[in-house]
Amino acid sequence: MALIAIIDDDPDILDSSSIVLKSQGHNIVTADNPHDGYKIVVEQKPDLIILDVMMDEPDDGFYLAQKFRKEGIKTPILMYTSVSKATGMEYDKSEMVPVEDFVEKPISPSELINKVNNLLKAKEVK
Amino acid sequence: MDEKSKILIVDDENGLRLGTERLLEEEGYYVESAPNGNEGIRLGKSKEFDVAIIDLKMPDVDGLTVLKEIKSVHPNTVCFIATAFASYETAIESTRLGAFGYIPKPFSPEEIIYQIEQGINQRKLILESERLKKEREENLLELANEKSRLNAIIKSINDGILVINKNAELVYYNYAALKFLDLAEIELGSKILNILPEKVVKTVNKLFYSETFHLKSYSQQIELKPNNQLIVEFSTTPIPNSDGSLAGVVLIISNITEYKKIELLKSQFVSMVAHELKAPLAAVQGYLNIMIDKSIQLSPEKQEDYLKRSLTRLKGLTDLVNDLLDISRIELNTKQREIEQIDIREIIENSFQFFELDIKKKNISIETHLDENIPAINADYNEITRVVTNLLSNAIKYNNTNGKIEIELYKSHNYLILKISDTGIGLKPEEKTKLFNEFYRAKNEMTHGISGTGLGLSIVKIIVDSYHGKIEVESEFGKGTTFIINLPINIK
Repeated sequence: MALIAIIDDDPDILDSSSIVLKSQGHNIVTADNPHDGYKIVVEQKPDLIILDVMMDEPDDGFYLAQKFRKEGIKTPILMYTSVSKATGMEYDKSEMVPVEDFVEKPISPSELINKVNNLLKAKEVK
Repeated sequence: MDEKSKILIVDDENGLRLGTERLLEEEGYYVESAPNGNEGIRLGKSKEFDVAIIDLKMPDVDGLTVLKEIKSVHPNTVCFIATAFASYETAIESTRLGAFGYIPKPFSPEEIIYQIEQGINQRKLILESERLKKEREENLLELANEKSRLNAIIKSINDGILVINKNAELVYYNYAALKFLDLAEIELGSKILNILPEKVVKTVNKLFYSETFHLKSYSQQIELKPNNQLIVEFSTTPIPNSDGSLAGVVLIISNITEYKKIELLKSQFVSMVAHELKAPLAAVQGYLNIMIDKSIQLSPEKQEDYLKRSLTRLKGLTDLVNDLLDISRIELNTKQREIEQIDIREIIENSFQFFELDIKKKNISIETHLDENIPAINADYNEITRVVTNLLSNAIKYNNTNGKIEIELYKSHNYLILKISDTGIGLKPEEKTKLFNEFYRAKNEMTHGISGTGLGLSIVKIIVDSYHGKIEVESEFGKGTTFIINLPINIK
């Protein structure tokens, strides 16, 4: 059982992702903008953050991830986005994007569960 | 020569002179004669004879002087010296002065005719070579003009041009090249590779040091000033010698900054479109996934809710696709415009029916002030309807419950002015500037839960612009927004 924060400006994505992860027994907190997302992470210290790239601005998610890392918040981040290589944007896992995993929307329930479990397991090992 | 050849005879012996004159006239020549040296000089200078036969010994002026005088004016007149007192010295002297030949007296008719023929041939040769010489000079002059014309053209070209020989020395440049390289001046013959961008130098060196080369250009895009202030394309082309070896290279520098800006905008637009298209798809897929997943239990109410929300997202997606198609149609001008006389008042009044439900739901009151004397304008009915409905839709969407919408239509000079005001959320100053950007939607504490494609106002602006009109916005955050459309009445 883990506490997972989902930060995404699409309320429908927040809903369906929450249901999938709740079905695995996790507790979920959500935020639909970077500002509230920062708040829930700082206040509730989740075990994992699921973070959307494009919110108010096209690169909100990146800035938020960088902000967490700068402030020493090492919570694993699963970043997801609906833009990708195919649509002309390319991201690398690097200092620019200090996240543990990166997936492209849409993501199937089983894939989401797998990714989340892997990240949580890796965190425990640490 | 079609014309008769002109012969001058200068001789103080009357019998001989007149006899020769008659003989040559019979042979078809035009002949004039002078009985003494002075007269000979006068005649020989007055017109250009083809051939002159000059007696050496005359009482007033001797033949060599006459020869010299005639030659000074008409150097191409072929002159013979005729004399009974031939001497080796006079022969030398006469040729030195330009005589073509020497005719010993007395001479037979055959002899004189033969000599004259020789003289005429010589004359033809001289004239022909004169003509060729003149032609060559004219060509050279033309070439010089051509060169300076080419120079003027190359110097005024906006693209920079640098020509470098195989020793890496600059052999030609124009001013635009200096400007691109940020140089005040540059010396011909100087080694210039060290002032060129590294990438270009590599290309140039590759051409210089390879055994063979292809006659093609190598293009490289280079940022000359940071932050996309100046991006140029260097195009490097080898110049071959006539034997096929490399003589040097020509570099052409073109400013492609604006082009790159458009390219960037385009790719940003494409990725925005992709994002906007994928977002609803991802949402619907998310719902369908949890509904089909047997391990996830959902109440029938929840299931219905998710289906409804999926449909809403799909409706939004359809609207978006339609808006995108409209934009591309208007921008590409492929949309067959049906220009007709349209009455904007009628369009406004008809538009309310589309929003009846929303107006009732929010209990919005609508006030219209439509000037009776509005002329009809020539425009596409559907496009103007689109403008009105998009603005009206925003005025309703971003209005408060129990809010008000005011619509004003009047004529001012040659423009129709359409004002649509609402008493809704309003815009923050920083939002106003982005308002007409594609996909921009004001996001603040008040706009949560308002749906839209982010293209409505873009479409309005594109349409209004295409009729050479103008759209303005006045707004105060929390108070409301007014859109003002100016449409020229005489739209062609």
